[in-house]
Amino acid sequence: MQVKTFLLGTVFCTLAVQAHAQDEMACKGQVSSLNVIGQGMPAVTELSNRLSEFNAKWDTEVRITLLGENERRARARLDASTGAGSYHVMYVDEANLAEYVSAGWVYPLADVVPESYDLADFRTDLRNVATIDGTQYFAPFVGGGDVMMYRKDLLEEAGLEVPRTLDDMVAAIKLLDAADNRAHGWAARGQRGSGMNVWRWTPFFRALGGEWIDDGMPAFNSPAGVAATELYKDLMAYAPPGIATFNWSDSVEAFRSGQVAILIESDVFGPWMEDVAKSSVVGKVGYAPPPDPLPSAGWAHGWAVSTVGAAEGCIQVVAGDFVGWATSKEMEQQRLEAGIASDIGRVSTLQSDAFKALVPQEYIDALLETGPKTDLLIMASPVWPEIGDTLGLALEEIFAGTRTDVQAVLDEAAFFAEDSLAGLK
Amino acid sequence: MTRKRFVTLTLIPAIGLLATLALVSIAGAIWFSVMNRTLRSADYEFVGLHNFLRLLRDRRFFNALENSIIWEAITVIGTLTLAVLLAVLIFETVKKPLWRNLICFAFLVPVLLPRVAAAFIWRFLYSPSLGVINYLCGLVGIGPVEFLANPSLALISVAVVDIWQWGLFFTVILLKLLETLPREPIEAAKLDSARTWEIHAYVTLPMLKGPLISLTLVKAVESLRSFDLIFVMTGGGPGTATETLDLYAYQMGINMGGRISYASAMSVLLLIVTTMAFVIIWKAGKKWTN
Repeated sequence: MQVKTFLLGTVFCTLAVQAHAQDEMACKGQVSSLNVIGQGMPAVTELSNRLSEFNAKWDTEVRITLLGENERRARARLDASTGAGSYHVMYVDEANLAEYVSAGWVYPLADVVPESYDLADFRTDLRNVATIDGTQYFAPFVGGGDVMMYRKDLLEEAGLEVPRTLDDMVAAIKLLDAADNRAHGWAARGQRGSGMNVWRWTPFFRALGGEWIDDGMPAFNSPAGVAATELYKDLMAYAPPGIATFNWSDSVEAFRSGQVAILIESDVFGPWMEDVAKSSVVGKVGYAPPPDPLPSAGWAHGWAVSTVGAAEGCIQVVAGDFVGWATSKEMEQQRLEAGIASDIGRVSTLQSDAFKALVPQEYIDALLETGPKTDLLIMASPVWPEIGDTLGLALEEIFAGTRTDVQAVLDEAAFFAEDSLAGLK
Repeated sequence: MTRKRFVTLTLIPAIGLLATLALVSIAGAIWFSVMNRTLRSADYEFVGLHNFLRLLRDRRFFNALENSIIWEAITVIGTLTLAVLLAVLIFETVKKPLWRNLICFAFLVPVLLPRVAAAFIWRFLYSPSLGVINYLCGLVGIGPVEFLANPSLALISVAVVDIWQWGLFFTVILLKLLETLPREPIEAAKLDSARTWEIHAYVTLPMLKGPLISLTLVKAVESLRSFDLIFVMTGGGPGTATETLDLYAYQMGINMGGRISYASAMSVLLLIVTTMAFVIIWKAGKKWTN
C-alpha cells in the first residue's frame, strides 16, 4: 500500500511539475519586452552581454536602464509610487528595501523566482540584508562589508605595522601623509547621500557609541555623532584635494592610482586594486578588517520583481525567471571567467577554485576576519533614504566648510528627521 | 475662406496643443502644491497654503533662490560679454571668409555637445588630482585648486562651462549679424576718425540693440534650465553652494523622500517670480529699443 501511495505520489508530483513548467513556458512570446532598472555595477554591465540567451528563452527583449545610484533610487521610487509600473524588475539595495517592502512595491522572492535557482545558496550575510521579518525580497548579486586597504610598501618604508585600532590608524594616516611618499594618508566619501558620505561616516558614529533613535526620537546629534563628525572631518585634512565632494568612485580611483595610503571601503573594491589594466598598485595592497572598534557596514544589492510593473501573470513569470537567471550559479561562474571577482552573491561561488584564483589569499582572509564585524549599520526604516540624505547634506556642508558648528548642523538634520519619523505614524 | 480665418484655423491645433500641455502641468503643480502628497504614500489631503508658508521659513529655499539669481546674472552677463568681445575681435582681425567660417564652425562645437557630456568633460578637467587645468595651474605654481569642492569657487566654475557653451555660440550669431550691417555708418564714423572701439560702442552695437535684447532673453530662459549641468558637475554641492531652485525642487520632490507637494509649491513660486521678472525685463527692453 505504501509503495502504491509512493508511486502515485511520484507520478502526481512529476505531472504537477511538468504542468507547471508547461504553464510557465506558455508565457514564451507573450511578453514583448521586459524593463529592468539597474545600476552600473560590473555584474549588471556584464549581464548586458548575455541577454541574448534570456531573450531567446522567452522570446522577449530585456531592456536595462542604467543609472547612477541616487538617480536609480529616485526613478524607481517615482515609477512605483505613481503606479506607472514602467519597470518590471527593480534594482534594490539595503537603503531602500524597508521603504519598498512597507509600500508593497516588491514581491517576496520565493513567490516569483523558481526553486530551481537554489535560493538557499545565497550568502547568509547578503540574504540577511535582503530579508525583512523572515521574508527575503531580493536576490543579491553583490554586497558584503568593509575592508581596510593599505599600501604595504608605504607602511614598510615608514616602519609602521598594520593598524589594528582606530587610534593606530589615525596616527598612521598622519605619519604617512607627512612622509615624502607622494601619497596622501587617507581618502573617504564626502559627497552627500545616504549611500555616500553617511555610509562611510556611520561606522565611526557607531564605533563611538552612537545610536540612530533614542526613545522614538532621532539621536544622531548626540555627543557620539558630533565626535564622529569631527574625527571624520579631521581625517579629511590628510586626503587628496576635493575630498569634500568625493564619491566612492573618486576615493577608490584615488587609491588605485597610487595617491592614497589607507582606505576603508566596501570589500568589493578589493579585486579592483588587483586589476592590472586599471590599477597602478597591483601587488602593493594589503587587506585587513577595519581597525577596532570600527564595525563593518553590511550591504547588499540585488534584483526584485516589482508588484507595480509586473502585476500580471506572464510578466510576473518572466520577471521572476530573469531575477533567478541573472543571479544564478552559472551566471556567477561566467562572470568569474570574464575576470569579475567583485560581485559575488553565492556561497558556492566563494568556495569555487575560479574565485580563489582571481584574488589574493590575503583578501580572502580579510573577508573572513571581517565577517563577524559586519552588520546593517544604517537605520532600518522606510524613511531612511530621506533621513539619510538630509544628514548627508549636513555632513557635506561641514566637510566643505560652508558650516562650522557641527552640533548645530546635526541638530538641524535631527529636527528634520523628526518630521520624517512623524510621517510614519 | 478669408485669409484671416485660414490663419486662425491652422494655428488653433498647434496653440491648443501647446496650451493644453502647459496648462495641464501648471494646473497639476498648483493642485499638488496645496496638498501634502509624498511619493511614499498614495494618501494625501488638502493643506491649503501650508507648503508655501513653510517655504518662507526654509533656509535652503532662500539659499537656492539666491544661487538662482547669481547663476542667472553670471551666465547671462558672462555669455553676452564674451560673445560681444569675441565677435568684435574676429570681425576686426579675421578678414578672410574661409578663416571666419572655420572659426564659426569650431565655436559651434561646444553647444552641439550634450550638456551631460560637457559636464562630465569639465568635471574631469577641473579634477584637483587628475585634471588638465590643475596640471597647468601647477606649472605656474598655483594650486591644486578645488574648483568644484570649494564653496566660493564652485558656482562660478560651473558657470564657466555654461558660458563656454553658449558664449561661443552667440559669438557666431553676433558675427553674422555684424556682417549684415550696412557699411555706410561705419565708413562715416571712420571718416570722423573714430577709433575701432568707438565705432562698435557707438555705431554697430546700438544698431544691434534689438537682436541683443532677444539674445539676452533667450539666454535668461536657457539659464533657468541648467539643471543637468549643475546636477552632473556638483549635484548642488559642496553643501548647498550650487543648489539652484530647480535642483532643490528635484532634491525635495524626487530624490529626498519624495515630497512632491512641497516641490510643487516651490515650482509654482518659481513660475510666478520668473514670469514677473521676464515681463519687467521685456518691457524695459522694449522701452530701450524704442
